[in-house]
Amino acid sequence: MDNIIYAVIISVIRGGFYSLMAVGLSLVFGVMNIANFAHGEFYMLGAYFAYCGSVVFRLNPFLSILFAGAAVFVIGVGVEKAVFVPLRVRSKKNWLMNTFLLTLGISIIMQNLVRVVVGNRNYGLRRGYFQGNMQIFGMGISNDRIICFLISMAAIVGLMLFLNRTRLGRAIRAVSQDATGAQLVGINLGFIYSFTFGLSCALAAIAGACLLFKDPATPIVGLAPLYKSWFVLILVGMGNVGASIIGGIIVGFLETLAVDWLGSGWMDVMSLGIIMLMLIIKPNGLFGKKGVKSAVE
Amino acid sequence: MSETHNILDVENINVSYGHLQVVWDVSFSVGKSKVVALLGLNGAGKTTILKTIAGLIRPQSGSVGFLGQDITKLPTHMLAERGLSFISEERNLFISMTVEENLTLGAYSVKRKDKIHENLRAVYDLFPRLKERSKQLAGTMSGGERQMLAIARGLMSNPRMIMLDEPSMGLSPQNVRVVFETIKMLREQGVTTLIVEQNVNTTLEFADRAYVIDQGRVVMEGTSSEVRADNRIRKLYLGEE
Repeated sequence: MDNIIYAVIISVIRGGFYSLMAVGLSLVFGVMNIANFAHGEFYMLGAYFAYCGSVVFRLNPFLSILFAGAAVFVIGVGVEKAVFVPLRVRSKKNWLMNTFLLTLGISIIMQNLVRVVVGNRNYGLRRGYFQGNMQIFGMGISNDRIICFLISMAAIVGLMLFLNRTRLGRAIRAVSQDATGAQLVGINLGFIYSFTFGLSCALAAIAGACLLFKDPATPIVGLAPLYKSWFVLILVGMGNVGASIIGGIIVGFLETLAVDWLGSGWMDVMSLGIIMLMLIIKPNGLFGKKGVKSAVE
Repeated sequence: MSETHNILDVENINVSYGHLQVVWDVSFSVGKSKVVALLGLNGAGKTTILKTIAGLIRPQSGSVGFLGQDITKLPTHMLAERGLSFISEERNLFISMTVEENLTLGAYSVKRKDKIHENLRAVYDLFPRLKERSKQLAGTMSGGERQMLAIARGLMSNPRMIMLDEPSMGLSPQNVRVVFETIKMLREQGVTTLIVEQNVNTTLEFADRAYVIDQGRVVMEGTSSEVRADNRIRKLYLGEE
């Protein structure tokens, strides 16, 4: 029984970070129809910025994570303006394929740029953000795990509130549902695209910053989270932000199950096996609708 | 662009899709508080003309003036603020949002909150059906309700002029009546209308002026009664011998 409770808690915590990554990926797919394969690199930058904030500037953990999100938001907006604005002008056909190739390029460039600037050394927190443990149902779980999980949940809840309750958030949803209609009511598509991309990057950065307590920043630290967030999207359907949250938790469960029952070597086999099954049986994903770019509902 | 008594001046626009030119040297103007119709068969280029005015398509040459200012190169999202509202044939509603969210977004260019509420009340008075359905998702409504919502959303930005593309398409005769009565009422409030319609009879009944477009060119223009009296028009569009 204890084992089950422990597994559930670990799954939810693990899945929560996947959700945070997947939500940003989903948002950009839903609003801009971009298959972002550089999403992991913004996670990686988030980890570096959080290290910088925490160790170099000696900020408290919350501020370090916030700093990482804000800095990567700015970088994300810059990347959007430098790369996708020109692509929108020039590419009409094969847009999705072009975004895939382009973001793959961005990913490689960013990894190597970081390697050139800071080298291959690992930048990690020697003692995490928060010391100590918390007792939950008699099990000791590190404060880092719990508080960082709560921060990522707060980021997701904040995003949902922002999308549903604010004027700008509504405008983002409007663009995802009907870009022409959005223009006609006076929404500036260019601004929404830049802002949305920045927001998505900031979410990835917050995930990277949160997980810095256990995964040190390296040039390729974003790869695993990138794959995980794509698992989630394929599992629940592309571009559905709400479903991505659930999807993250599901993937967390699957992995914990695999680790507990089969051994940690089977973790990715489990996820990938299910992804393959999904693609064969229900390519639109668990919550996906056929032919609908259903986006941010 | 000097005739300030006109709301809209379209001068010699040429529009192409790739190498295919669909609008040839079209000019027309719309006076204040008038209802002007563009008539013509399917594929005559009427929708293209409206989309060009709305900035969704750029013309090869020619200019579009709105309230005495050149808007030919103005981005589409600036038009709502200037007072031009385009209710497209596709409706372009936000289907996963409620009726009320759609309407609120219609007033995106309106900065003052009290003004938005006032407009919301006004369109609910105009279309009580929408008020009943205010919490329903736009995508789950019937064709007629969607058209009402599209028009209502277009009115939320306090437009000086609305452009309607095929508003009666897919509507019951009763709803068609509602649409045209709305246009008539808007005219009384000083709102100008440019309308593209297949429903020629009803349109001419309500319009002040009409331009007949054929293969991308203006082939005839005049008051509604002049157009109705024209033999060619009767044959082509009214199905009379």
